[in-house]
This record gives sequence, structure tokens and C-alpha cells, in this order.
Amino acid sequence: MTGPAEVGLPVTTPSSAPARHVPLTTRQHLRGHYAGFASRFISFVFDCAISIGAFELTLVAASFAASVLAGTSIHWSRGNIWVIVGFFAWEFFYYAYFWTASGKTPGMVLLGVQVVGEEGGHAGTRRGVIRALAFPLSFILAGCGFLGILLGRDRRALHDVIAGTAVVYCWDAREARLRSLARRSSARRS
Amino acid sequence: MNALIERINLNAVLARVELNDLLRRVDLNDVLDQVDLNRVIDRVDVNQVLDRVDVDRLVARLDMNALIERVDVNEIAGRIDIEALVKNTDLGAVMVSSSTSLLTEAVDLGRSHAVSLDDTLARWVSRLWRNHTERPGPPALVNPQEES
Repeated sequence: MTGPAEVGLPVTTPSSAPARHVPLTTRQHLRGHYAGFASRFISFVFDCAISIGAFELTLVAASFAASVLAGTSIHWSRGNIWVIVGFFAWEFFYYAYFWTASGKTPGMVLLGVQVVGEEGGHAGTRRGVIRALAFPLSFILAGCGFLGILLGRDRRALHDVIAGTAVVYCWDAREARLRSLARRSSARRS
Repeated sequence: MNALIERINLNAVLARVELNDLLRRVDLNDVLDQVDLNRVIDRVDVNQVLDRVDVDRLVARLDMNALIERVDVNEIAGRIDIEALVKNTDLGAVMVSSSTSLLTEAVDLGRSHAVSLDDTLARWVSRLWRNHTERPGPPALVNPQEES
């Protein structure tokens, strides 16, 4: 299994003492902190847009290819069982691939969050695949599976607990803040 | 009287005095208590003293490596207000030209807003559920003592 340093995250002395809510500010680097609900939800929205968009494009491309090669046009219906099966298979592949490969889907890259093992190391193939399989469970239970992100000590959803994973920030907020200050000072000077 | 004094051989008299014995009887602390050091210092021309000091020789005798080893560089670096430095110097312009683009700016902004939202939600939960405690991050990534 890959260590936290190898996935670009800081390594500090382990300690299990719980702490009361410490406000997150961009004066901290944030890397390695459990990601909050908003960041995770927004990244999920981006992922939905990207994965559904890609799936729709694939269907359109398949239709076009069929019409060019076979001369018959295929009309995909949303109720078609093959379309539904294909959609869920694609969604599973999309999330499982990115979570096992780097712990980051494209939406997560945008929001600067990453899936890691519960101890902080690389999520790995097994946990990535289990997480992708358990992900729908959090929806099926009327969204209650996501309550852990808001109420849990480790901000872990049901699928995180099942897979033994956690989601952390992986962007350097302090660096971003310095960049923002630099931009402001540069704009003021010019 | 003068004639009498002239006839006394003072050297012979002094030779017979046990000076060490005499000095032993003197309470130097008592003497020093009576000295007004401030007045003495006032009369010293410090500039003149400094003029006589060979600073180059003094510096040459210093072991700079030993001196630097005793300096806690991390503590000094920690005292630097980097934000003020970036704000008030051309360092900011250098950073902007070397590391940012419109996309980076937009991503930074989006992430910052998302973190603010995360924090707001966490504060609400903390208020609603007073016993709610949370850990900052996985043990291998974040040391809670470091953050609090």
C-alpha cells in the first residue's frame, strides 16, 4: 500500500485525540483535513455532469457510427434496459477507476478533495472498488448515508465506512491565499 | 612641626606597615556602596572607548558557525509575516507572473468558497449538537495537537 507521503500528502505524528470543531480557514494549508459536505457535494455535481455528459456523448457517437456504417439510425430510449445497465456500468467504472487510480475523480480534482484510506494512506484498488459498489447505498437509504459527513467525527459517509476510506482536502489553501494576496497587490501596483 | 616631619623617614615607616594586613581589614563592599557608579559612567566617553575597539578583530574571534547553530531559524521564519511581505513587496508580482492563470484563480476562488461553506455547515452542526466533537483528519495526515 502506498504511504501518505507518496500521494502528496503531509505526514505528521499520529494521534487519536478528538478535537472540538476547529474553524477551517484558508490561512491553514488544509491538506489532510477531512473534507466537508459542501466541497464533496459540489465535486459530486461536477462528476455527475462529466460522467453523464460523457455517457450521452458515447450514445450519440454510437448512433452516428451506426447510421454511417450500417445505414440504420439507432434511437436510444432512457427506459431501455440496456441503456440503464450501460449507464450504471459506466458510472461504476468512472468512479471505481478514478478512486483506485488516484483517489480523485475530475470533480474532486476541481474542488481539491481526495479519497484516502481511513488511516490516511492511498485508498488502493480493493477499497476503491468497494467504495464504488457501496456508493449507491448512501442514496438508496433516502440519502441518510451522507449524514455521516455532517454529523460524524471523521466526516465519513456510509460508503466510506463500508470501504474503510475517508475524503480529505488535498489542495494547499495557504498557497492559494498567498496567490490571491499577490494578485491583489500586483493589481494595486499596476 | 615641619622640621620634625622632614626628619621622619617615611619610606622606613611604610616599609614597616603590613599592607596586606591593612587591606584585609578594609570592607570593599562598603567602599563600593559609597561609589556613585552612574556618575562615574557619565564621565566616561563611550564613543572614545568604542573608537579604541577593533571590531574587525573582535568579529574575527567569533565562531560564526557556532553562533548560527544556536539560532532557531525556524522560529525566525515563523515570525515573518509572509502575508504582509507578499502584500507590500514585489514578491507578489513575481509570484503572480510565475504561478497563476485565470483558471488557477477561478479554481482557487471556487475551492475557497466551498471550504467556507464546509466551515459554515460544521459550525451549525457544532451549535445544534453541543457534544459534537470531530477529528481534523486521518491520524497519518494531521496531528490534532498541531492544529488546536
